[in-house]
Amino acid sequence: MNRPSLPAMRHALRRVRSLAVLGLVVVASGCASDAELDTLKPRSDVARQIDNLLDPVLYVAGVVMVIICGGVVWLGWRRRVKNYEDDEFPAQIHGNNTLEVAWTAIPAVIMAIIAAATVITQLAVSETEANAMTIEVDGDARTWEPKVVVVGQQWWWEYRYYFDVDVTEDWLGDPLDLPVADIVTSSQMVIPTGEEIELLVTSRDVIHSHWIPALNGKRDARPGFFSPWKLEADEPGVYFGQCTEFCGVSHSRMRMQAIAVTPDAFGEWINEQMQPAEVPADAEDYVAALRSGEPSPMGETDVASARGLAAFVDNCSSCHLVDGVNDHDYQGASTETGSAPNLTHFASRTTFAGGFFNLYNSDGTINRDDLAAWIRNPGDVKDNAADDLADGIAPRGMPTLGLSERTIADLVAYLETLGTKPGLDLIAATEVE
Amino acid sequence: MAIIEEPLALTSGEPAVAERPLGVLTRPQGGNGWRDWLSTVDHKRIGIMYGAAAMFFFVVGGSEALLIRLQLAFPEQGLLSGQLYNEIFTMHGVTMVFLFIMPLAAAFANYLIPLQIGARDVAFPRLNALSFWVWLSGALFLNSSWLVGGGGADCGWFCYSPNSGIVFSPSHGVDFYALGLLIAGIASLVSSINLIVTCLNMRAPGMTLFRMPVLTWMLLITQFLLAFALPVITVALFLLLFDRLFDSQFFDPAAGADPLLWQHLFWIFGHPEVYIIILPSFGIVSEIIPTFSRKPIFGYSFMVFSGIAIGFMGWGVWAHHMFVSGIGPISVVAFSLATMFIAVPTGVKILNWLATMWGGALRFTTAMLFATATVAMFTIGGLSGVTHALAPADTQQTDTYYIVAHFHYVIFGGGVIGLMGGCYFWWPKVFGYMLDERRGKWHFWTMLVGFNLTFGPMHVLGLQGMSRRIDTYSSGFGFEFWNLVSTIGSFIIAISVAYFIYNIWKSKREAVDRPPPGPDPWDARSLEWSIPSPAPVHNFDYVPVIESQDDWWFRKYTINDDDKVVRIADPEMVAQKGDATGVHLPSPSFWPLVLALGLPLVAYGLIFNLWLCVIGGILAAVAIYSWALEPVDDPDAHHDDSDGDGADDLPNDPALQEASRDDGGGG
Repeated sequence: MNRPSLPAMRHALRRVRSLAVLGLVVVASGCASDAELDTLKPRSDVARQIDNLLDPVLYVAGVVMVIICGGVVWLGWRRRVKNYEDDEFPAQIHGNNTLEVAWTAIPAVIMAIIAAATVITQLAVSETEANAMTIEVDGDARTWEPKVVVVGQQWWWEYRYYFDVDVTEDWLGDPLDLPVADIVTSSQMVIPTGEEIELLVTSRDVIHSHWIPALNGKRDARPGFFSPWKLEADEPGVYFGQCTEFCGVSHSRMRMQAIAVTPDAFGEWINEQMQPAEVPADAEDYVAALRSGEPSPMGETDVASARGLAAFVDNCSSCHLVDGVNDHDYQGASTETGSAPNLTHFASRTTFAGGFFNLYNSDGTINRDDLAAWIRNPGDVKDNAADDLADGIAPRGMPTLGLSERTIADLVAYLETLGTKPGLDLIAATEVE
Repeated sequence: MAIIEEPLALTSGEPAVAERPLGVLTRPQGGNGWRDWLSTVDHKRIGIMYGAAAMFFFVVGGSEALLIRLQLAFPEQGLLSGQLYNEIFTMHGVTMVFLFIMPLAAAFANYLIPLQIGARDVAFPRLNALSFWVWLSGALFLNSSWLVGGGGADCGWFCYSPNSGIVFSPSHGVDFYALGLLIAGIASLVSSINLIVTCLNMRAPGMTLFRMPVLTWMLLITQFLLAFALPVITVALFLLLFDRLFDSQFFDPAAGADPLLWQHLFWIFGHPEVYIIILPSFGIVSEIIPTFSRKPIFGYSFMVFSGIAIGFMGWGVWAHHMFVSGIGPISVVAFSLATMFIAVPTGVKILNWLATMWGGALRFTTAMLFATATVAMFTIGGLSGVTHALAPADTQQTDTYYIVAHFHYVIFGGGVIGLMGGCYFWWPKVFGYMLDERRGKWHFWTMLVGFNLTFGPMHVLGLQGMSRRIDTYSSGFGFEFWNLVSTIGSFIIAISVAYFIYNIWKSKREAVDRPPPGPDPWDARSLEWSIPSPAPVHNFDYVPVIESQDDWWFRKYTINDDDKVVRIADPEMVAQKGDATGVHLPSPSFWPLVLALGLPLVAYGLIFNLWLCVIGGILAAVAIYSWALEPVDDPDAHHDDSDGDGADDLPNDPALQEASRDDGGGG
């Protein structure tokens, strides 16, 4: 057996060390970026508990890895021979029971310690606290148990807020046919900081998974069932999320954000969302006729948003709901799931189409290009299963409606009137690429 | 432990009457033409065909992997549409698991189990042929969905309901998935029973269970896992098919179904499946490391029992795939703990391999390089597995690239790399020539580097929050760099695999100028090295009588009073010559192939036109009856009648004769 000389080994060690340093630099540069989904940057108690459980195990695992993999390399290096000679046999050892017992027991003890920590953490993160908030809406005090019903659907998330009721599974009833909510928003969930929010996660079609990594782990949205989950944010901020259960053709484009604001700002947001949709100038008579159940066509008007309202009623209202416009005879969407995003406060959100596009440019003007492209041919900008369907099959996603450019422009003008425009700082913080 | 030769229909004393019932039922004769491969029942040929077909599907699944990596090399790429991407990653997973690793492990099991236990063939040779042909017909059927089914399945290899339902996956891809896996499942189930019986009943005299090589042990455990796991996935696939084809509502939430039913069924199969994939490789490593350490395996019985423990515990951990599905905190904790403790027997194996190397004389042939790399790479996969067992942490990790990294370190690092080592190790035994070692080392190092470059960065990507099964990703999340590295790594693997195939071809060409490898080129330990390379058609000239573990090694060496190893014989001298004549072997048959042809016809019929089912069903029924009616042997063939008295030359032990008469006949 030829043993390597000491200087040669030192040289080899130095080379290994320089390689390791190089590796670290590469890893660091790879990680340096916005990394809004980073699982190792917890921003809430629950996420920190999870991280505190994982970190020491990662270190232990790292040490074991170095020992075993290093052991393989070291043994291989030390004991290597080029060829076998007939008289060159190592000691023929068949085993050693003491060793076997030791290396059965030691890993078992290590695992037992990890197991105990896991059970403790699991129980801690499963705990929920009962609390309730009072929010003044138009002078009335409304109570809100901080609960949000989260509904996954191909390929967007809906968040439903209910006031003055005890939102339990029993009260909600059929997860595929939920009671009318006070506030419905999509792809952006607004929550107050410092409050533990209970989520009741469900789905209208396939299984999705709701995940805001900075705040908590993920929870599957299972059709027909409510899965309880919780979120809490320490600080105001925007926390990015992504659907993580494979859910079909636009799974990668099903995104969401949790926007945490101070309790005061949350109250303001609630008030704003409780306002009915504004009726564009020149369209009052038209809406009054709609509400009275005797719709008459919109007369000629120079107001684009008024024409857009009429176009909305003609083209969009069989799926999308705007409170006060088509709620009186809204039959439910003609999509597979009977639902499409509620657009009553569309313009108060900063993303659209499942959190995939920015609704506003960074200067605060509406992102006309993407919005018009989406209305023109949704499947072109985000894969879906809404067009070219056989008879009797309902669309999943938004179909191509074949609207004229003028109608599209009118619709954009109308959509822009729906809700209070968000501030520039929120637009910047929620920007998706 | 009697070795029971294939019996003749006639018992001794009666005249041998050559009966030929129907011409078509005559058993074909053996030979070397392509027809003989189609009708073979020789476990070695079947093993070779499994291996060759598996390598073909490795290239198919690998090409799919390259398309995935090309799409993800840069953010927001449109190389593949969302739909096509989903089909390709689904078929990549299905192909690699069911059409590459499982059959490659089956190749080793078929070829080596009879040789390692000193048997002439498996217990049921025609069933063995059936397994292969049925598996192949299922595999080709599954992939034919690209051509006639309007694309591959698009539901992921795990095919969660209701996304796999007819509403959400209206093309025929999922039907091909379900039917193809059902057909392939028949093959694995039949094969598992066959090999279990082989291990239990066909061992040479003296080959007690605890003298069996570790590889045979691991393969035996694998067969038990298959025998119990496959019925579960079969049930699940049947329910899925009934939903899709006949409007039943097993998985329809609107009718009150719970989508978790599918998940439980799938993972009760799916988790043992992981051990089905990994245990054969563990066995291979346990053969290679002792051989090239010049030491016996350290802690043989601990190796065997930890394998058995893994086999048992593997059944109690399935719900760790479902920590975020909403199964309740108690279930989560229970499965989390069970998962942690399966790390213990796995750790025992790793440490025993290291202890085998400890103090050994390590000769780093290509096979040894692969085997030691398997130990290291599997360790990394096992350790990341422990981090998933922390259920709360798994809620952050599951369905991210961290999981993709983990299971590729287990399945590729622990499984494929080990099987590659097995290829280099047993190649001379199977084909009679060595794979070139210098090129083999290039193959090894490129594969190791490519593998780590491909899957190592995925740990980082997953912890950074990159979801699995996404057809593209946006820039700005920090995913760009490591995805590019991973794609580069995947192409290095591709080069490495291409180089392996080149090595096979080139080594074969060079073999004519090189000395034949002889029976025992590695100075190895188990019985297959006591016969010529390539193994003769009858395996053993005479059935060896086993006196100890590593019996073959102790025919070459002994340990003297000073505990020194002393050579007592040259392997060429003590090895069998392979020149026995008139050895009675099971006769070939075409009926397994015909039966296997009927099954995909039934499957196509279920999808396209029920009349095809009738044709396929008739074909299968004809094959089954013909199989039952064809003579046990070709009446014209000469068997063990070397003394010409018209009777089989049974061993002189009356008990054995009695046993052989009672035995109903193989296959």
